[in-house]
Amino acid sequence: MIYNGPTIVEGEFCDMLRKAQNDLLTQTGPGTPMGQMFRSYWMPALLAGELPENECPPVRVKLLSERLLAFRDTEGRYGLIDEFCAHRGVSLWFGRNEECGLRCPYHGWKYDVTGQCIEVPSEPEASGFAQTIKLKSYPLIERGGVLWTYMGAPDKQPPPPEWEFATVPRKQTFTTKRLQESNWLQAMEGGIDSSHVSFLHRGDLDSDPLFKGAKANQYNLSDSRPVFEVVESPGGLYIGARRNAENGNYYWRITQWVMPSFTMIAPRGNHAVHGHFWIPIDDENCWTWSFDYHPIRELTRAEVSAMREGKGIHAKYVPGTYRPLANKDNDYLMDREAQKAGRTFSGVQGIAMQDASLQESMGPIVDRTKENLVSTDNGIIMARHRLLRAVKALVEKGVLPPGVDPAHQKVRSAAIILPPDQPFKDGAREALIARPDVAPASV
Amino acid sequence: MQSESARMSSAAEARFRVQAPNSKPRVIKVIALDALSEDVVDRLAKASWNQATFFTAAAFAGAPRLEQRVSKEGWLRDLSGRTRDLIDEVDTADLVVMVATPGENVAVAAMIGEACSHKRVMTTALIVGATSASDETLSKTLAQVRPWSLMVVIANADDYIEDMLSALRA
Ligand code: FES
Ligand SMILES: [Fe+2]
Repeated sequence: MIYNGPTIVEGEFCDMLRKAQNDLLTQTGPGTPMGQMFRSYWMPALLAGELPENECPPVRVKLLSERLLAFRDTEGRYGLIDEFCAHRGVSLWFGRNEECGLRCPYHGWKYDVTGQCIEVPSEPEASGFAQTIKLKSYPLIERGGVLWTYMGAPDKQPPPPEWEFATVPRKQTFTTKRLQESNWLQAMEGGIDSSHVSFLHRGDLDSDPLFKGAKANQYNLSDSRPVFEVVESPGGLYIGARRNAENGNYYWRITQWVMPSFTMIAPRGNHAVHGHFWIPIDDENCWTWSFDYHPIRELTRAEVSAMREGKGIHAKYVPGTYRPLANKDNDYLMDREAQKAGRTFSGVQGIAMQDASLQESMGPIVDRTKENLVSTDNGIIMARHRLLRAVKALVEKGVLPPGVDPAHQKVRSAAIILPPDQPFKDGAREALIARPDVAPASV
Repeated sequence: MQSESARMSSAAEARFRVQAPNSKPRVIKVIALDALSEDVVDRLAKASWNQATFFTAAAFAGAPRLEQRVSKEGWLRDLSGRTRDLIDEVDTADLVVMVATPGENVAVAAMIGEACSHKRVMTTALIVGATSASDETLSKTLAQVRPWSLMVVIANADDYIEDMLSALRA
């Protein structure tokens, strides 16, 4: 055996490094490196349905540790501005949405969707005082039923998002969001942690209306220890889970991860395809966005109502909120009997909350110095590696991170049977790209 | 009254996590399968590791075909050139990482893989320098390593392997 010096000291050194990396990847507030990275992308900010009509009530939005307010003015323009009035710091959530602006109820200062103050009643209009007041604001645009914002430097604003779920006709796509009470990274890492599916969610493949009945489920259930292949893609990663299929071929389920926090899970049969975004609210909370769409057909009424009821990757809510009904305050409605009987593996019902409950149980920001990753965690290891590399290149050299380019966004996950020697970037090349009117590769 | 889950998942409670170590260093053996990968492994070996050791099987890459081989002795060398016994090395490993370059002959993966599967040791194959490889050369490499690897990683940058080893606490 080769002696490499005192291991205790080494271990501590590594843990320090790990702590520094953990801080770097988990902190996304203004001025942080990862915050700068997130501010390079269009991110989902709220559902279009949250601002349903002109002059509707404004909505508080916290993103990347910044308190903002979204509103829709008399002419239908969307705005995302600093939540607090520039006069004496009142929350503009109390504001009056009237005549193309939001008026602070305290002394009547009024702002337009760009945050420009357009009226200060106490000052003579001719003084031009209002012109000198402007709240920070970010663009807010509608695509696919989602309102997207870009919080970076205006001169670097990328073209609007091109994710397929947001560009197919509206009847083919359905998106929800739910509050997740943990840091974004541990939530996102759950999305690329392919080896948990055969355990945590094993009860749901055969019973959930949005999953059951696909031929693929047989491969899944009969071979619960797949072999994994992690391949760098232009925007992030392909994570393939391989099982044996007929005639010596392999059955692949290929997940897409696009930086920084988009994932798309392999489809099953003719079911809708789905995936997530994890968007930091602050360092201890994030929005889990969940989309379901079909590239070539409308969603059925039964599908949409199952999604509304919180089936599949969606969740049921505490009425009037986006907080899941099963949450930390009710111990996620833990059902030990269902766990014992094997109806659920963890005792928590539904795929979304099975994931969220465990990710929240790690604490608001998981201490990664204590984890023991294994070989099957290479997807997670590689994602961190790529994020760290991209952050460094962005901060030090201004290199645009992967995933900003719309070409990186036109991707699809795939379920596909391939010969044993075929690289999936080759065999599944077509299948991994989103093309209008082309059916998804699914088994 | 707050539920236990709510209380226990707070930042305040995170401070009370047990501070004792929860694992022993794992013994990881990294083996270059071909001459180009040997350079990568060589470089890697210069860093300091807890329990990772580095080998090459490159000299044997072109040697006898599977069905012709007689013994597994002498398939492996450490980086100073000494012959090592494959079975012995695998026997004391928790994880064997094979490093391969597309376009090179890596038939020796079968030898190593067989030894690992015999000893029930986890295997990972890392394919480096794949960015420039054609699908055809990559496919040849995959055909040789896939049957023997429980995890395959195709990385664009050579420095990934270093990150992977630290993440695995090597
Ligand atoms: S088994 Fe993976 S977190 Fe416990
Ligand atoms: Fe999950």
